[in-house]
Amino acid sequence: MYILPKADVPRLLDAIAARYELFGPVVDPISGDTLFDRASAPSAVRLDAPIPVNTPKFSVFPHFERILTYRYDRASKALDIRREDLVRPKALVGVRSCDLTGLLCFDRFFLGQEFVDEVYRDHRRKMLIVANTCVRPFAQCFCVCTDSGPAAVEGFDVNLTDLGEAFLFETGSDKGRGLASELGLAPAGEHAARDRAAVVNRSIGLFDGQAVENKAWISRAVNRLTTGFVKPETWEYIGQQCFECGACSFVCPSCSCFNVQDAATQAGPTDRLRTWDSCSFEGYSRMAGEHNPRRPIEDRRNKRFFCKLSYSQSKKYLRPGCVGCGRCARVCPGDIGLPNVVTAIRREITEPKP
Amino acid sequence: MNEPNPAVITTVPTPAVIEEIRPEIEDVRTCYFRFEDPEIEKSFAVRSGQFVMCTVFGAGEFAVSLPWSPEGDRRHLSVRAVGKVTGALARLAPGDKIGIRGPFGNGFPFEAIKGKNIIYVAGGIGIIPLRSSIVHVLLHRPEFGRLILLYGARAPQDLMYRDKIEEWRRTEGFETHITIDRPRPGWTGETGFVHTLIEKAKVPVENTVAFVCGPPIMFNAVIKELSARGLRDDCIISTLERHMKCGIGKCQHCAIGRTLVCTDGPVFTYKQIKTLGEQI
Ligand SMILES: Cc1cc2nc3c(=O)[nH]c(=O)nc-3n(C[C@H](O)[C@H](O)[C@H](O)COP(=O)(O)OP(=O)(O)OC[C@H]3O[C@@H](n4cnc5c(N)ncnc54)[C@H](O)[C@@H]3O)c2cc1C
Ligand code: SF4
Ligand code: SF4
Ligand code: FES
Repeated sequence: MYILPKADVPRLLDAIAARYELFGPVVDPISGDTLFDRASAPSAVRLDAPIPVNTPKFSVFPHFERILTYRYDRASKALDIRREDLVRPKALVGVRSCDLTGLLCFDRFFLGQEFVDEVYRDHRRKMLIVANTCVRPFAQCFCVCTDSGPAAVEGFDVNLTDLGEAFLFETGSDKGRGLASELGLAPAGEHAARDRAAVVNRSIGLFDGQAVENKAWISRAVNRLTTGFVKPETWEYIGQQCFECGACSFVCPSCSCFNVQDAATQAGPTDRLRTWDSCSFEGYSRMAGEHNPRRPIEDRRNKRFFCKLSYSQSKKYLRPGCVGCGRCARVCPGDIGLPNVVTAIRREITEPKP
Repeated sequence: MNEPNPAVITTVPTPAVIEEIRPEIEDVRTCYFRFEDPEIEKSFAVRSGQFVMCTVFGAGEFAVSLPWSPEGDRRHLSVRAVGKVTGALARLAPGDKIGIRGPFGNGFPFEAIKGKNIIYVAGGIGIIPLRSSIVHVLLHRPEFGRLILLYGARAPQDLMYRDKIEEWRRTEGFETHITIDRPRPGWTGETGFVHTLIEKAKVPVENTVAFVCGPPIMFNAVIKELSARGLRDDCIISTLERHMKCGIGKCQHCAIGRTLVCTDGPVFTYKQIKTLGEQI
């Protein structure tokens, strides 16, 4: 562990930007929202900004991405297929613990199952990650209930913790240690671990009553979902609330469903595009001849909650899919973000039967 | 991180040349093909029951079963033109190129069924994935008990693989029963839905497995009939179809509950199918 004086943050960002395409929390001048985005300049990265409205997942799993390009000329039968390596090394700076946990879910899912997803692997292998401990929770957060925050414990090259005057600079890899020596950082004193723990504990203490109260209920909900004890009426209610807009999937750090389409350009090459998809969409499971095994929206909608909370689904992430970022609750026009779904399941348990 | 499996083409489709196209039935054509790269032509090894992702350049990619047997059979795909990509494939001609990724999926459990009687029950183009299994089993005839094929189609012109079926009819030790839905002028064979053949063929249930493949209505009727005669759920084998976009367990489109048809299937026993927790 090292100490990074706050005055040296620009030096850190410059050193990273010299070698990587720099991504981090930046503040949108018009809306005032924090976005996780490509930084126009190293100084645009704001380590003190609130949790970004979007997740950094687009950096490894873009909204849409060309995964192949090909040209086939039927007359001459000439065929040219390319998979360009478009992936430049990226640095994600200021990643919150929930979002980092989401990335680790992605790693286990895309790299650790039967097949390796080569497209994802190429994004990921050159990456530098600088995490940022949440010294206070934001209104939507419940990472303490999903074991994914407020401080990262793995998966980072560097983790920063704001100690007031300076950042504690924890290293998690050779890349991280390399940065510390390049910047000539002073080793942290013997109290560093204690100071860090104090900051993290204070942050945990600041999570409002709801998040802490939910902690017990999330594990109850996990249990009910896994064993199939959620009532059909509850799924029906959730299904009826859903507008099928897909926003929850798009803002979620652990949602990774995609669609693939070949887009032909006039007389030019064809691009094979991988695009974000959502299990709430009607076309998601539709097959030829209009056969759709998941027609009713309740059917489709509850898939998301199984994916986020059931044990049997969590084998692909080696943890529950939900990382407690609260974003789906912020964006859902039907008011059925994950915390409200947990509440609906909780009502089933606590409300007296009529 | 897992190491990529070099025996499976996961990402970039490998070019193949269509050598011949044979019309099967209305809207269904069989395309014989070979890989452009002689190395891949030699090394591309499949198990019966698996599938590949086939690219029609300019249109897209779709999942398709392997009707050919890994041993002594020409490589081919039989495809019904139903939409954008399968429609574009139907417009190709010999000499045109397609792209192949795969092979994907688990395949049929031949080891586990050695010594047993086998009943194949196919409806319409459901015979496509079963063809490969039938060819395999006939090549290893002494390893199995009674072999029975029950095949039904709407009308005589809807019967797939007519040459092959003629050959099978004449194959000693292979009991074939073909039916069409309703009597037609000139048809002298069986009529009625395929599940009615189960009774007529006096199929065994002891030491027996059934491979069932066809549209959902046919599937359900056949299962009902087989179960009523006492065939156990884990002795009924089928292949499932699902919207598929990747074949490698990543896009999640083929999920049924927590099961992915592309990597956990497409071959399942009826016992497994019943526990998937969703409509099939
Ligand atoms: C394991 C497996 C094996 C198959 N084997 C064969 C075969 O041997 N012969 C054959 O003719 N067909 C087979 N199919 C069905 C074939 O994949 C679809 O008919 C084809 O995807 C339709 O694509 P389209 O673009 O022409 O149709 P559209 O209706 O234009 O399709 C739009 C999209 O929906 C998806 N889709 C539509 N129908 C299906 C479907 N039934 N299954 C999966 N995805 C679908 C495709 O991803 C496609 O991109 C198989 C499907 C699976 C999953
Ligand atoms: S389910 Fe909702 S709260 Fe949980 S990680 Fe996804 S977006 Fe965040
Ligand atoms: S954000 Fe809400 S309304 Fe939109 S798809 Fe998700 S659950 Fe449905
Ligand atoms: S086809 Fe993509 S996960 Fe099965």
